Amino acid sequence: MSNALRAILIAAALAALLSGGNAQADGPRIPVLVPITGFLSLEGTSQRNGAELALRESGVAFAVDDTATSPEVAVNAFERAMDDDDVVAVVAPMLGTQMLALVPLADEFGVPLITVSGTAKITELGSANVFRFFPGDAVVKAAQAHYAVEARGAKRPAIVYQTTAYGQSGRAEMARNLAALGVPAVFEEGLDVAVKDMLPVLAKVREAGADMLLLHLHSGPTALVVRQARAMGLDIPIVAGSAMHQPETAALLAPAELDGVCAESGASPISEDDPGVRDFVADYRARYERAPDAFALGQYDGVQMVLAAIEAGAETPEAVRAYLATNRFDGLAMTYKSDGKGNMAHSAVILCYGGGEDRIPRIVRRYDNLTGAL
Amino acid sequence: MLAGQLALNALALGSAYALVAIGFVLVLNATTAVNFAHGESVVAGGFAAVALATLLPADIALPGLVLLPGVLLVTAALGVAIATLAYLPIRSRPPVSVFATTIAVGIIVANGLNGAFGAAPRTAPPLVGGGTVDLFGLALGVQSLAIVATAAVLIGGLALLLERTQLGRRFRACAQDSEMARALGIPLVRMTVLAFALATALAGAAGLLLAHQFFVSAADGGTLILKAYIAVVIGGWGSLRGAAAGALLIAAFEVGVAAVASQPVAEGLLYIAVLLVLVVRPQGLFGEPQQVRA
Repeated sequence: MSNALRAILIAAALAALLSGGNAQADGPRIPVLVPITGFLSLEGTSQRNGAELALRESGVAFAVDDTATSPEVAVNAFERAMDDDDVVAVVAPMLGTQMLALVPLADEFGVPLITVSGTAKITELGSANVFRFFPGDAVVKAAQAHYAVEARGAKRPAIVYQTTAYGQSGRAEMARNLAALGVPAVFEEGLDVAVKDMLPVLAKVREAGADMLLLHLHSGPTALVVRQARAMGLDIPIVAGSAMHQPETAALLAPAELDGVCAESGASPISEDDPGVRDFVADYRARYERAPDAFALGQYDGVQMVLAAIEAGAETPEAVRAYLATNRFDGLAMTYKSDGKGNMAHSAVILCYGGGEDRIPRIVRRYDNLTGAL
Repeated sequence: MLAGQLALNALALGSAYALVAIGFVLVLNATTAVNFAHGESVVAGGFAAVALATLLPADIALPGLVLLPGVLLVTAALGVAIATLAYLPIRSRPPVSVFATTIAVGIIVANGLNGAFGAAPRTAPPLVGGGTVDLFGLALGVQSLAIVATAAVLIGGLALLLERTQLGRRFRACAQDSEMARALGIPLVRMTVLAFALATALAGAAGLLLAHQFFVSAADGGTLILKAYIAVVIGGWGSLRGAAAGALLIAAFEVGVAAVASQPVAEGLLYIAVLLVLVVRPQGLFGEPQQVRA
């Protein structure tokens, strides 16, 4: 076998491993374009699983395509998907830079994008085709700041955030909310996603006299900060970003390290008692052999709303867009309604870990309708 | 107290980076080309540790260090595969061709690990245990001390291999003048494959050392190969001692400088230092006689 043929066979096998779909000859189609590889693959896989679970139940045709980490790959995947005239909506990547590249294309093709991307700017471009089913920073960071100050009495909070667009967007919202509450941060520092040792930044947090640590980091860095804070004896409360609610993040830490750590999130499926959410968690575990996170549930709800539009007779992208823009939808995580810009989610939860072996956090506070859009 | 902890953390991180950079140089010297799959070899070592840990008996608390031989074997085999697939078929082409093939293999390895282990970061068992020990009034992390000790043993072993054995002399002969080595009857292809195996095994060991304290995920390879590349540029293209020194310097910036400046500033200062080295001493801190810089 030639080297070239061998390489093609390996590539084909990997492509088959990383993608999936449900082929149907006719009827509406919903391509699923998400980052399954690269630094956002954990969140992107959750996004894919949530969309796939909803679509498999429906029988609507779909195909999964990996957008990796660059805007170019996402644009190519989108253009390939739009070769099909039956596309009524697209599950779009949660990576903000990819969404910013896709929004003009979605406007050109007139196709709604269904996403859980947290990047604030995607709903500020004046596009009628963006629908975000995960609370943006304006919601979750407000919840995080209010919980820290009002429920936990923070007087001198410190913020540690990622230097990515995601991190800077969250930092700005958190700092704005803390200032509005009269408790500005006493220390702020951004970290590259590749930083391994958190001792330097934690030493500065301690030196600043912070009485609470607020995080806005991805999964691995969040776990690194929590572990090293515990190891160095930095015993101030930690209220983390939504990465800390992910079961995969909690799995990196020992129960003792998790004890007392809190986090904001749009939802926490494994913490909920609602029968619908419990069924979702059971189905998800059965299919993917892992616990779902809020990104999976948000994407599931988003696709369910598109399916509700199709069920109500929407057969074209225009009709689906009109349905999403004007209707209210009771999803499993929350009630969704557009604020006129495509922000569909307006509620958040705060959850805290109790240090048990099961690593299941409990929801300690709910912040409903923070934007007043419902 | 804090300064001692920071120094140990920098030394631990630098020791692991040194293993990566030394492996990078071994292949560089054997082929005059850059193996861009080297970062993924570190990641493969981390995941090999995660996988092998599941084979340990659950009722006996064995230290993660017992996984080291298995990790070395698995990643050495990966090195042979990289040499066979990405280097040997095109060894007569310009070194730049190897860039493309090793990048391709690196992507395949990263995506394969993503498919096999999932996208989430994973953690391997601690090398000898957790917690801290008191030394000279300092509370030092056991894992950090174990990383430094393990890396020192591995680097010392490599130095003995290269300096005191016939195999090591053959490695050095091939690196200094491959045509002359061939003329003297040294099997060049076999030595090249061995260099890949040895280099990738060192990278795998670094993966094991890093995978508990700093986790491992399939997308980490790009960052690690960049660190190895910078370490070699600082230390001197082709110099094993220079690679180790460059790796320690990177860690000193990441931990030490970041403790007094912000992390982004520390990163910026590191790259300014790299530029200064290139301007003042283009051959690197431990630069050897003129090499082809790929």
